[in-house]
Amino acid sequence: MRRQLSIAFILSVFAAAVGAQSIDYDPRRAVELRPCDDQRYRGRTEQARTCYMKLLESNTPIVQAEAAWALGDIKRANEIFRNTVQNNERAVQPRVRWARLFLQTHQYSDAAQVFSEALRVFPNDVHAKLGLAGVYAERFEGQARPLVDEALKVDGDLIEAHLLSASMDLEEGKLEDAGKALDRAMRLVSKEKLPPLEVYALRASLEMSRGNSPDQWVERILDYNPRYGAVYEQLAHFEIMRRRYKEATALLRQAVEVQPDLWSAHAELGSNLLRLGNVEEARTHLQAAYSGDPYSPTTVNSLRLLDRIGEFSVSVDPVTIAQDTYEVQLRLHKKEAEVLRPYVLSLTARSIESFTQRYGFKLREPVTVEMYPDHDDFAVRVAALPGIGLLGVTFGYVVAMDSPSGRAPGDFHWGSTLWHEMAHVFTLEATDHHVPRWLSEGISVFEEWRTGPTPGVAVPPETIAALDKKQFLPIAELDSGFIRPSYPNQVQISYMQSGLVCLFIEQRWGFEQLGVLLRQFDGKRSTAAAIEATFKIAPAAFDKEFDTFVRTRFANVLANFSEWQQQQQTARQALQKERWSDVVEPARRAVALYPENVGGDSAHLMLARALDKLNRRPDAIVALEDYRRAGGWDPTALKELARWLDEAGRASDATDVLVSLNYADPLNAELHSQLGERLLTAGRAEEAFREFQALLALNTLDQAPAHFGMARALRELGDQSGSRRHLLDALATAPHYKPAQALLLQMIEERT
Amino acid sequence: MAVAIAVGATVSDFPRLALASFIAMLALPASAATYTVVIAGLGGEPAYEQKFREYAVAVASAAETAAGSSNNVVSLSGGGARAESVKREIKKLAARMNADDAAVVVLIGHGSYDGENYRFNLPGPDLTDTELARLFDELPARDQLIINATSASGAVLERWQKPRRVVITATKSGGERTATRFAQYWAQAVASDAADTNKDQIVTAAEAYAFATNQVEAAFKSETAMATEHARMEGDDAGRFTIARLGSAALAPDNPEVAALLSQRGAIEQDLDRVKGQKASLPENQYYDQLEEVLVRLALLQKEIDSRMGGGGS
Repeated sequence: MRRQLSIAFILSVFAAAVGAQSIDYDPRRAVELRPCDDQRYRGRTEQARTCYMKLLESNTPIVQAEAAWALGDIKRANEIFRNTVQNNERAVQPRVRWARLFLQTHQYSDAAQVFSEALRVFPNDVHAKLGLAGVYAERFEGQARPLVDEALKVDGDLIEAHLLSASMDLEEGKLEDAGKALDRAMRLVSKEKLPPLEVYALRASLEMSRGNSPDQWVERILDYNPRYGAVYEQLAHFEIMRRRYKEATALLRQAVEVQPDLWSAHAELGSNLLRLGNVEEARTHLQAAYSGDPYSPTTVNSLRLLDRIGEFSVSVDPVTIAQDTYEVQLRLHKKEAEVLRPYVLSLTARSIESFTQRYGFKLREPVTVEMYPDHDDFAVRVAALPGIGLLGVTFGYVVAMDSPSGRAPGDFHWGSTLWHEMAHVFTLEATDHHVPRWLSEGISVFEEWRTGPTPGVAVPPETIAALDKKQFLPIAELDSGFIRPSYPNQVQISYMQSGLVCLFIEQRWGFEQLGVLLRQFDGKRSTAAAIEATFKIAPAAFDKEFDTFVRTRFANVLANFSEWQQQQQTARQALQKERWSDVVEPARRAVALYPENVGGDSAHLMLARALDKLNRRPDAIVALEDYRRAGGWDPTALKELARWLDEAGRASDATDVLVSLNYADPLNAELHSQLGERLLTAGRAEEAFREFQALLALNTLDQAPAHFGMARALRELGDQSGSRRHLLDALATAPHYKPAQALLLQMIEERT
Repeated sequence: MAVAIAVGATVSDFPRLALASFIAMLALPASAATYTVVIAGLGGEPAYEQKFREYAVAVASAAETAAGSSNNVVSLSGGGARAESVKREIKKLAARMNADDAAVVVLIGHGSYDGENYRFNLPGPDLTDTELARLFDELPARDQLIINATSASGAVLERWQKPRRVVITATKSGGERTATRFAQYWAQAVASDAADTNKDQIVTAAEAYAFATNQVEAAFKSETAMATEHARMEGDDAGRFTIARLGSAALAPDNPEVAALLSQRGAIEQDLDRVKGQKASLPENQYYDQLEEVLVRLALLQKEIDSRMGGGGS
């Protein structure tokens, strides 16, 4: 009861106008509502309003609630539904309708709970099942599909089930299946003489997905209801699924043009404009959405982010590669922009150089990289997008990602994330956003392994376990692993599988063929067709060869997975008890079986630690170097490696290890200070200057060493004037700083 | 800056400090001595007992080096830090002070606050904020630096305020009750040159406070944990309290010539402050030219001081 009251409080009045609801194909919908519904579906807003107003006086509470809902009085609708449910613990239909109200008002958990309550009362209620499937579908969860299938088994005439099925098929690129589901839905709609609007809208989406014009279906829809902006919103939804944000934006503009009070379209348009970097217009539409639907978390969070946009600084720098100059715009939080900018800019430039050369595509627009110290701000950018990584996202020429300051050092390698996202910029833009999700992700993962800041084919144990359980998907269905995962971790495993597919292509046909495959995707070709066209083999044959490839590559660990687990455990237990000599053999065996495991529990790390404790430092160094070569990047381990290398007289190698740490732990003052000194000693003055610059930007308590370091680096670089200023700044901060005093006197002596 | 060197040395400890030219630049009378009391309270568990004792040792050791003698430093920890012992030792030290001296009190450990009274947790009965305030008020030294690094220490900040007294608490209020980290970083501040931001090899209370608060904030940030303590400082010019001397500054320069040079150094530092104060109003080139002129004078003088003291650049 307390929960219901709190729900009632949340569901206060929306200003949603008549027409905000989609077409309601629920066969149990009260007959009295039909005439009003007909007016609404035809876009006759005033007539519909008058009609529903009368029903507010109905003797049937459910009808009253539905009328209030249709009129936008969500609070009243909620109260009536709640009272009805409270008065009848066995009431199923009111619960289903109440849950649908939650679904429409973005309260998915509450919706799922009330649908589940209905199913507890009557476990076979197909409408509750269908409603629950709708919740799962909204959240891109794999349970949606089995529930729809279950509902259809009970009642094959459920129009909404066919529509939901078609919608999911379209999202997953199963166009034939979508067509069949829509055919069935159309037959039922015609038979029942129900408005065909949603069927037409999905038909339009299907045509668009096939690379054809959706116009004939749009025209039919607007003939039926000139205010049916939902068709454009629907089309935009599928464009967003394919990461075609510009196209989606154009459609959403049309949606709000034909139906200005379609708040969900305003919200989506605002989010989409943000993805494209059009901040001011985004604000206008998000504010419009908020005026009509103030409780959408995405809208509220997006507006909050925009309120803080002034906290970010924007820089625009040219990046010259060969004969071409590209523009890179960085949007970084002011508190860390000065520290991060040089590293982000340099890595972005490197990625542009690498991918331009590898994929033969030149960027046509400036690239924007945004980094968010607050993960919630980043989360706003990916809201309502399925299968998106938790760390970064690419919207064409705009990359948004977490900032390293948003996570503890060691949790996040921002350099690899940026590299991954920059690969998306190329694969998306080279194909006009027609590249399927799996290939875009696959190339990004593959490039992390091959050319990124942490090279090495790092594959986590969950992927090996999935391979062992034969959970890898056929290539033609790999996208569904991202969009609607059917088991935990499937999205992550799909990333890995996609990366391995690219690795397979490289090994089997040569790297160039990966680019050939990428260019097959022109909007009209499916994955299956592209595979056939590129490799001249059927997808099933491709799957078979890939399966052989991965099983061969990971044969050791697949054949001995239990043993690997056992060795890991033995090594771990010995490590915990500090029985160092007992760690070595099991850890060595675990590494031999499965060198690609470089996660936190990596046997490489256990082995290195034990060898060091046993005074076998050279072997310990080899173990950590193997770890690093396999893609390991744990900052603590690498700092240790650098120390060991120093002690072994390999200062230059140690410096390189520390330089690589900037891509994992760039806000570490101690690291910049140490690197600045080392690079200066090594005669790498330009890099040293960058380190001291970062140290200064970190605004540490003690700024004198940073200024002094910059002064020395600039002196090495021949910038006497800049050197003098930083030297004087150092001494203005710390007047008794003796090394700086000595340099000052030397400078004066040289001058005279 | 010219303020720090005075506190922490008696005339007998540091004859140089008797020099009138030097005295003129000091915020605290040069004839003053600094008396330090460090108390590590009840840890409650071995790990805390150990840590508190280590911090107390570091702080007391730095105080001894700063004073050039262990006579003016009292450090109590473990079973020795019972309320009666604390009272007795503070009173004994008070008996040796005069009004021109400075007193530094450092409380390390756990504190509690029940909404009315703050308690410094000790073996046996605790000491309340009122009892502690009475002890501090009875100290003859007018210049006082009280560092309460315990949990809930913020509760005493206003209660302990007094003219010429600087009060530092590890927490902003009595409501921050989690075991604090402040003492750890205060101990680090006095034990290395990390807090000595102006590089004069003297760590003042102001520098140590800035260092410790900075480190506490960084520690919570690196753990992406919500900060459970926010230190506060009340009272003027914490820079006048020297709490550690490093390197050659720890040596007692009894050479009158050096003292005279140190006096000159103070005058140049004042020139430097003047130039820095004009930064916003001067054209950039002129600012750096003037800065250079002063800093060159200072560097040359420092070279001479170092050669007289037998020290060198660090």
